[in-house]
Amino acid sequence: MEGMLNELNFKFKSENPVDVVLPKHHYGVVGSGDLEVLLKKHELEGAVEIRVVSPVRGFDHVWEKVLEKVISDAEVGNVAIEINDNNATPVVVALRLAQALSEAKSAEQSVN
Amino acid sequence: MAKWTELQDKSFLEATARERAVGIVDEGTFTEFCGPFDKIYSPHLPLMGEAIEYDDGLVAGVGKIGKKPIFVISQEGRFIGGSIGEVSGAKMVKTIQLASDLYEEMVSEKPDLPEEMRPAVVISFETGGVRLHEANAGLLAHAEVMDQIQNCRGRVPIISLIGSRVGCFGGMGFVAAATDVIIMSQFGRLGLTGPEVIEQEMGKDEFDASDRALVYRTTGGKHKYIIGDCNYLAADSIRSFRETTTAVLQKPMEEIETFRRIGSMEKIKEQIELVKLSVSLKPKDSMDVWAHAGNENPESLINMTLDEFLAQAKRLKA
Amino acid sequence: MQKEKVWDKLSTDTEERMNAANELFSDRKVVPSQNGVALLEAVIRAGDRINLEGNNQKQADFLAECLGSCDSEKINNLHMVQSAVPLPIHLDIFDKGIAKKLDFAYGGPMAAKVAEFLREGKLELGAIHTYLELFARYFMDLTPRVSLICAYEGDKDGNLYTGFNTEDTPVIAEATKFRQGIVIAQVNKLVDKVQRVDIPGEWVDAVIESPKPFYLEPLFTRDPANITDTQVLMGMMALKGIYGEYGVQRLNHGIGFFTAAIELLLPTYGNELGLKGKICKHFALNPHPTMIPAIEDGWVESIHSFGGELGMQKYCEARPDIFFIGPDGSMRSNRAYSQTAGHYATDMFIGGTLQIDKYGNSSTATASRVAGFGGAPNMGCDAKGRRHVTDSWLKCGAEFEDQAALLGDMPRGKRLVVQMQETFKEKMDPSFVEKLDAWNLAKNANLDLAPVMIYSDDLTHIVTEEGIAYLAKCRGLEERMAAIRGVAGYTEVGLSADPKETKTLRERGIVKTPEDLGIDRSRANRSMLAAKSVKDLVDCSGGLYEPPARFVNW
Repeated sequence: MEGMLNELNFKFKSENPVDVVLPKHHYGVVGSGDLEVLLKKHELEGAVEIRVVSPVRGFDHVWEKVLEKVISDAEVGNVAIEINDNNATPVVVALRLAQALSEAKSAEQSVN
Repeated sequence: MAKWTELQDKSFLEATARERAVGIVDEGTFTEFCGPFDKIYSPHLPLMGEAIEYDDGLVAGVGKIGKKPIFVISQEGRFIGGSIGEVSGAKMVKTIQLASDLYEEMVSEKPDLPEEMRPAVVISFETGGVRLHEANAGLLAHAEVMDQIQNCRGRVPIISLIGSRVGCFGGMGFVAAATDVIIMSQFGRLGLTGPEVIEQEMGKDEFDASDRALVYRTTGGKHKYIIGDCNYLAADSIRSFRETTTAVLQKPMEEIETFRRIGSMEKIKEQIELVKLSVSLKPKDSMDVWAHAGNENPESLINMTLDEFLAQAKRLKA
Repeated sequence: MQKEKVWDKLSTDTEERMNAANELFSDRKVVPSQNGVALLEAVIRAGDRINLEGNNQKQADFLAECLGSCDSEKINNLHMVQSAVPLPIHLDIFDKGIAKKLDFAYGGPMAAKVAEFLREGKLELGAIHTYLELFARYFMDLTPRVSLICAYEGDKDGNLYTGFNTEDTPVIAEATKFRQGIVIAQVNKLVDKVQRVDIPGEWVDAVIESPKPFYLEPLFTRDPANITDTQVLMGMMALKGIYGEYGVQRLNHGIGFFTAAIELLLPTYGNELGLKGKICKHFALNPHPTMIPAIEDGWVESIHSFGGELGMQKYCEARPDIFFIGPDGSMRSNRAYSQTAGHYATDMFIGGTLQIDKYGNSSTATASRVAGFGGAPNMGCDAKGRRHVTDSWLKCGAEFEDQAALLGDMPRGKRLVVQMQETFKEKMDPSFVEKLDAWNLAKNANLDLAPVMIYSDDLTHIVTEEGIAYLAKCRGLEERMAAIRGVAGYTEVGLSADPKETKTLRERGIVKTPEDLGIDRSRANRSMLAAKSVKDLVDCSGGLYEPPARFVNW
């Protein structure tokens, strides 16, 4: 990402990862204090890759902790995640990502 | 996102652009153009350290209502106020153009193509107009959209839906006014200069933007319905907007043309009559206009439920 | 030769002052508004203690303007004793040197200006109080010499109708008049006969019809459209883990979106939990518009109000079984009585705050704003004089582990004092901190104490999106701090939590996550709310609620 945005890359692996069902899934809106999540099924030997793009700097360690916790709770693997953030708080980050993963894990196909 | 059936009862006011786009057409028929996974986002925002969205705040695509191909444009007010920049503008232009091209192709193949199979465009507005971060590109997009709308005249009906938080203001107010049919909810707002800008330019005595009741009775759905700027008032659900849209699209193109506000000598004369009326009436408030339209106790209409309002409100005749 | 002692200096002085104003009256106690400034200049002396009525809701704004227009050569160094300083004119009075010293309770929008004036020496601070505390001092050492009050209606004899917004008026008028002080009222309307006598004419010396109705702030109106999913989640947690758990029937809700969410969850989630009739029956509470769905659904038996809320008048009048309605059919609020009810007769105070420190002390002050306290500390504390017993009070007392350290084996109840806060506010501003900003404010504004809204020893529960900390169950400060860390999420305070310790606290029921409470996070969204917009509230009230213009979006 060129310019002034902060780009972060993480890789996590949870203990008993399960693959997501949907090949790709989009969730959320980049409103103020909010974010969008893009999930893509991707062979990563059970790991999860996450790329975050955000105007916020100085909270990289918080991002790492929040994302690690959500991935570990969700027990998913083999998925590449992108997040476009606009000042979301950790609670919103965790909530949106968990919702996105839960939809992507469920067999019930949502509308798009 | 919720399932299509659940989306139908969702508040149109609270729905996201994508929810509105998916829910306005028949179940399972929506295909998005340049969606988030295509990652066509604004090249300008990162340079300014502003957050990006992979759809640039505009959902475009195609679906069906019955047999009719419906080209959908849906603006997302949560992302930079639904403002139109280079990418979101181009998506808007191209979507209308695709509808026009498809019409041309279908009709040249089959000149007697039934009305029910001819394409239409539906635009769900939620915007303050040009994105100031990329103003020139945004302005240019406005002009190109206008051009496409003109190009569709008498061929491809264009329906505007206005019932989202931000309303429809700025250059996009002009754009909406140039479409064939406008459907609003009572929570929708339509205007050119936004309330805050009027206050800034003309002073608080002229227009107090913090007086939301004033803002709504000047730009809101009920007022626009009474004065004829909007053709239909829908309830605040995706279902109601979809059903109203469906009903309008069952009408032949010639009839849809009659809903327009501008675009013919006759329409211009009607508008001039309205200007004359405003000069002679010198309204101090929209309530004066409502009263002139024949509503004896106009204030009582403000808090009425939609059904009561539709049953009682008298509309202005030029 | 011994001089005879004089015992009526105050009334003699008052008579002299009133005589000086004689020609300004047009009829009995009526003074035309153009004589407002002259009246104040006639009856006020430099150095007087003056009450200017105004709280977080109604404002005697015309009389404030008059005072601000007085000649500071004649009238200066006043000592203002007033509930609140929320209007720019309140500070102008100090800027012009008309007033010097201030004793108050609530800063509101002028909080930053108060801090600035303190630093610059334009304002000398007596103390920051709670409402009830300040009222108490009107009858002790801060009795006003002249009080400037406001009412809806007044008559020629000085009788006042303060109605829905009675608020602080009775306390001010009584304290002032019964120590021979002077009471001047601005009224929205001069009438032949007031609708109801809220303040007897004998207590009032002058009535002025103000050019504009007095200003009213709709401070307690929360637009349901702005309630977030997280607030819904925390509301569900509070309802199940606290309201339901303790069977809280008598309570106060603070201002804010958390409690607005709870109010709107009663008819939905509350019914689902089967709590109707078991919780939320009696309130000391302003007429919150977000209470309408719960009232209509039959949850509430009574509400006594500190003040009125703009737009709720007709609704309250149409529900006389719930609200306190006079023989004339209109409501009467009374801040002093409602605060007393809130202090002595409620089993729970629940509200939001800005910052909570690692010990559990909380404050709404920031380094540059003297926000004041309002009424929250009177309710957000354990009423030490309370002796009557209710089930929830007893239950919380029985849990209160640290009580035995001072009381031995003597049982005692405890009020539930609950703070709700997301771990981060907007822009990644943490709510849990090592040290409150209030410390910096104390330094910046030369305060003797850091202003604390609720002290840790009164706090029994914290609700965040991470979970509920049941602090009353903790043994000692160390354990309380661990429980606080356990719900402080990804703030520095939260990140210092020891996961093993938090796990032990969860096993002991001292920390409960939404999962521990059996709450499905995926259900925690706005669809749970009984009303999602102000229009929904209007419809739910059958058109009786008339929201202020700024809340209308149709």
